[in-house]
Amino acid sequence: MSASSESRGPEDAVPAYYPGCSLDGLGRAYEVSCQIVLKKLGLSLDRIVDYNCCGATEVKNLSHDVSVALPARNLALARHMGRHEVVAACNGCVYSLSRANDAVRDEGTRSRINSYLGAGGSPTYDGGASVQHVLEFLHHRAGPSRIRQATRRPLAGLKVAPYYGCLYSRPKRYTGVGRIPGTDDPEHPHFLDELLAAAGAEVVADYPAKTICCGGGHALSDLEVSVAFSASVLHEARRAGANIVATICPLGQINIENNLDRIRQAYGETVLLPVAYFTQLLAVALGATVREARLKDNFSRPDLFLRNRGFP
Amino acid sequence: MPIVEPSLVEVRRSEKLEMDGIDVSGDWNTFLEPRVHGDLDLKVVEWVRAQPQGDTISRCWQCGTCTAGCCVHTDYGLEDFNPRYFIYLAQIGYEEELRRYAGTIWRCVSCNKCVERCPKGVKVEEVVHTIGTYLTATGQAPESPADRFDRAYTENLLRRGILDEAALFRTYERLEGRRTPPREILRLGWNLLVSGRLRTGPLARRTRGWRRMRAVLERVLKEDQRSRRSTLGRPKLPRNGGRGP
Repeated sequence: MSASSESRGPEDAVPAYYPGCSLDGLGRAYEVSCQIVLKKLGLSLDRIVDYNCCGATEVKNLSHDVSVALPARNLALARHMGRHEVVAACNGCVYSLSRANDAVRDEGTRSRINSYLGAGGSPTYDGGASVQHVLEFLHHRAGPSRIRQATRRPLAGLKVAPYYGCLYSRPKRYTGVGRIPGTDDPEHPHFLDELLAAAGAEVVADYPAKTICCGGGHALSDLEVSVAFSASVLHEARRAGANIVATICPLGQINIENNLDRIRQAYGETVLLPVAYFTQLLAVALGATVREARLKDNFSRPDLFLRNRGFP
Repeated sequence: MPIVEPSLVEVRRSEKLEMDGIDVSGDWNTFLEPRVHGDLDLKVVEWVRAQPQGDTISRCWQCGTCTAGCCVHTDYGLEDFNPRYFIYLAQIGYEEELRRYAGTIWRCVSCNKCVERCPKGVKVEEVVHTIGTYLTATGQAPESPADRFDRAYTENLLRRGILDEAALFRTYERLEGRRTPPREILRLGWNLLVSGRLRTGPLARRTRGWRRMRAVLERVLKEDQRSRRSTLGRPKLPRNGGRGP
């Protein structure tokens, strides 16, 4: 049993950063805007090189050991870099990395996983890297006050629905709520609300779809469900009076945007809203241009929305 | 959800009933009679419990918290998707009833709210997936779209260490016998391709030095699949048997 999985453990000056498959690919806008926000706040993260994909929620249905070994390899690389903290920006990555941490607390599992890692030419894993979402990292290290100070262009006129989605802070068994300080509440997360409000946005109160699933896990295999869920993320946002939705997960962002046409067909034009990564909105508030924050990358065109409101 | 033992709740009129010389005639709503249920077979719960993903099943005490918050059950409104009931049926070994949900059980979207809320620490989401795996592996349920996606996803990931999303999309469409019109693919994909966000085929990203790890993990995967087959024996029904209700 590793002691560091029970507390945050030593805090790295520069934690390791796990981009996962989407931040380097489909979620490039998230990656770029994250870097802008980190830089403007004087924070930095050190990228894990030669990482592999984490296996999300799919691999575990075929093999428990492979589903632990995949994320464990990335955590082992972070430890090899001498880090105790790993930051990931995708809810799926946070889930599978912290699930691997939970699994290797069992001595037998750990030695089995390490035998695979060793045979595959990777460093072995001691269980000593804690995992956090980049939202938690920003809230913990900078927090609303630093964001308020650093804001150059307050997000005036933006009524944002903060969409956390699933797997961000749950299940607590993995994410360590109550055990690890600085983790968000699993049922009523509020870090995103606070950071966006600090950047001058009006965060809509009473947004019941905050933590519902977007259906992204079954984006291809169960369209009916994934369209219904992504539609209700937008629909509830509208009902709460929002004019834009902020996301913290590339799978959620991409699933909702990929379903826009189907949502339009099934529920009508009035349900649609622009959707943007929260870091894109923060980057703009901290002084980046709409172009620099790559808002044009998003299919729901939050770039037009922001330009119409006078953001350069 | 149906209650499997209607005799537990149906009011039963006993006109003349004596027990140990005492008259107990009247209305009874819980009258337990000793009986043997020949259809129950605990193999399912024993197998689920033996899997690392399903070993928490025995902790379940049937409170139903998982189902009350389940997004597929409540938000999407698929009432037949009832994790508590699936676990109950597995626990009592009622495979025949479980088979009725073969077309439903795979629709869990892995949001993990049930795992978060379970007061007994049951990893409901993984347990339900394991029950579904049992049904498929024993031939009592057809392979579901989600099963096919999980397989395509895992094989794709293990090839290079990094997912090739476009190839995964193509493989999965082929598995489902589905064909999105090229114009629609191009409309979505073009923007992604030219902005360098989608790299596929020979341009796909890969993890340096992945070959050795791939060999190891593919071996582990194969062994897991083999042990699954050997612990379950031959499928009971043809692959297309046991469709949902």
